[in-house]
Amino acid sequence: MQTADAIVIGAGIVGASCALALTNAGLKVLVLDRGPVAGGTTGAGEGNILVSDKDPGPELTLALRSRDLWFEMQADVGDSFELEAKGGIVVARLDDAPLKAFASKQRSAEVDAIEVGDKELHELEPHLTRDITSGILYPQDSQCQPMLAAAHVLQTVRQRGGEVVTGATVTSIKTVDGKVVGVETSKGSYSSPIVVNATGTWAGEIAQMAGSHLPIAPRKGFILVTAPAPKLIHHKVYDSDYVANVASSDADLQTSTVVEGTRAGTILIGASRERIGFDGRMNVDILRRLAAQATSLFPILRDIQLLRAYRGFRPYAPDHLPVIGEDALVSGLWHSAGHEGAGIGLAPGSAHLITQQITGVTPFMDSTPFSPRRFQVGVA
Amino acid sequence: MIAVIGAGPAGLSAAATAAERGEKVLLIDSSPRLGGQYWRHLPSNWNDDRSLHYDFSKAQALFDRVLTNPLITRHSNAHVWQAEKNDGVFTLFVVRDGVEEKVIADKVILATGAYDRSIPFPGWTLPGVMTPGAAQAMLKSHGVLVGKRVVVAGTGPFILPVAAGLADSGAEIVGLYEANNPIRWLLNLHGFILNPSKIAEALYYMKKLRKHRISIRFGKSVDSTSKGFATVNGKRVDCDVVAVGWGFVPDLSLAGILGAQLKVDGDGTVVVAVDSHQETSVPGLFAAGESTGIGGSTLSMIEGVIAAGGKGKFARWRAQVFARGLQRVYPVPTNWQAKLNDQTIICRCEEVTLGDICSSVDELGAENGRTAKLFTRAGMGLCQGRVCGRNVSEIVAAKRAEKVHDSERMGGAQRPTAGPISLGELGDGLQKKF
Repeated sequence: MQTADAIVIGAGIVGASCALALTNAGLKVLVLDRGPVAGGTTGAGEGNILVSDKDPGPELTLALRSRDLWFEMQADVGDSFELEAKGGIVVARLDDAPLKAFASKQRSAEVDAIEVGDKELHELEPHLTRDITSGILYPQDSQCQPMLAAAHVLQTVRQRGGEVVTGATVTSIKTVDGKVVGVETSKGSYSSPIVVNATGTWAGEIAQMAGSHLPIAPRKGFILVTAPAPKLIHHKVYDSDYVANVASSDADLQTSTVVEGTRAGTILIGASRERIGFDGRMNVDILRRLAAQATSLFPILRDIQLLRAYRGFRPYAPDHLPVIGEDALVSGLWHSAGHEGAGIGLAPGSAHLITQQITGVTPFMDSTPFSPRRFQVGVA
Repeated sequence: MIAVIGAGPAGLSAAATAAERGEKVLLIDSSPRLGGQYWRHLPSNWNDDRSLHYDFSKAQALFDRVLTNPLITRHSNAHVWQAEKNDGVFTLFVVRDGVEEKVIADKVILATGAYDRSIPFPGWTLPGVMTPGAAQAMLKSHGVLVGKRVVVAGTGPFILPVAAGLADSGAEIVGLYEANNPIRWLLNLHGFILNPSKIAEALYYMKKLRKHRISIRFGKSVDSTSKGFATVNGKRVDCDVVAVGWGFVPDLSLAGILGAQLKVDGDGTVVVAVDSHQETSVPGLFAAGESTGIGGSTLSMIEGVIAAGGKGKFARWRAQVFARGLQRVYPVPTNWQAKLNDQTIICRCEEVTLGDICSSVDELGAENGRTAKLFTRAGMGLCQGRVCGRNVSEIVAAKRAEKVHDSERMGGAQRPTAGPISLGELGDGLQKKF
């Protein structure tokens, strides 16, 4: 395919969802990636589809819709990516008042947030430390296997007439009179009036190629993986610091824990957030903090062996909101990027929103807060 | 202080040499006794059963040098799970008897050895099917004979001592199959001429095998196994144990964690790149023995001496000529994939079959070992791809009619942690102010 109705750059979950939504809207879509499918941030994610960690506001509205779209996507593509509404439990170690206040705000925004007391909490999670006596249950929080999701979604795109070209590095975005006309890659050139930039951490570089700019920076996250164990943990269990952390702009290292079991029996411990450049080195101290926090939540984990740890770079914008919409400086260039640690969860919602905008359908929500314009026009 | 990691032939030579040159040495090894995998033994069987070890006297001499030198401290039952280098100093995080401690060293000599290379075939995950190294380890360190009627197969000189050792201990070797043809010995004649001691070693094992009336069948290998028998080149051979090995894979975890440059050896094995002093690309980090290229115990001992500052460059060259010859004589046959079927398990930890890997390529667009792993979980289990990683890469490449890229081979040898640690110990490191 040398000419497409739309080109999506990036074969991660954000790009794959976008390609599927555009294909389903009747467009002939070409997906390009410099690496393989799910080779970037998607391949280093836990597969979180969360509503529990979001304040009422545009991101929560998007997250709620996106969560439902995940299940619609499963119905469309097939039950092939381990999608499961396993539910999340947020606990507080000291004072649970902020937690309850946060949950009550979320309830007003149509989030299921159920207060659970001591007895019920330990029925839900029998191995949780007895020091913790209350928590909030979020039944909507879900989980998928993001690599499989991206791969199966792209397979469906192919079956419906789209094309996926991997190993094709985009070297330039071709524009005429400020309008996108196509892209140049290491595997040849392709023309299209629409280019969707779904390159996550690298989205700034693509914007620059087109003569625009986008302030997306990488944030490093570690995930510990333990040796397989019998089923010890039934939900995603978070420290309530996690909620405070996501909204933080503080560049110091912060860690807080998300602990969960997987189908393969391994336990994942994640959510360290450290904002540094693309230095991929292992940081033993972060591993220690994650382990200490996880074992204080679940003392039974003390004897479980660490199997490996992996790092991912999470793309984020200065205001911690994703960038979804048309570039203000280059017409025909669209962005769906900067989802930070929520890219898996927000992928189908972002795809839906951008497809509605591209095809001229009234968007299901006000997309202004996500517009790239906020970083491109009237900024000193 | 010099930290030597591994107490096999290379590590013992390095520790002894360094201490005799006046250096303080910490020798870290995961087993309770000196010797590594090569001179693995029980305290009771070391002197009682010298016949298990061809070069018993060399080993004994090294043990004596190490055990009597006051400059050498030993950490046994210990492994380094993580390492860092900051401001020219190495920090090693060591788990010793289950408790983590921190070790500071100016110089580190990696002598971490190698493990058996496994190649899948139908039935390779059945009970009773193992590597020659596992069969030998059971015998040497537990005094356990793995079976009564044993097939030993694969390629390389190592299968001979395994067969001989099992026969000496009372097993019946119902078949000894070397996959390569003896004519290939012509490829290594100069190696033998330079290393006459290797002729003596070969004759020693041949004599032993003859005593037990075992003959080597060349050009044959195990096609598949089922309960009670193996199929070898289409023929049924009744047996209760099958030991199959295809050479060795070096353990490079620590070299990778410390950022040492790796390279791909002639036969596709990933090794640590070292200079003429056995120093890696990381100043102060040295490597000796199998991690720099599979070459056997003689070469390992020489490399250990050189890494510790001793002499032996001519001897090393001679032994390297022999080692390179072995690579040419004992390649892994390229047709191993032809014996597999869709149900054959490739990753035993996660029970991923050939069919799963093929459909990840055909249907999901896996392009290399890494994406196949993400889609199928091959290599994500307990062994972290140490057994299957290379095989998965080669299957994916063959399916796509490509060659495995060197960067993928080297990436596959990288591990974020070099050994296990419990989450409890890991977290306690915060209080210990590591």
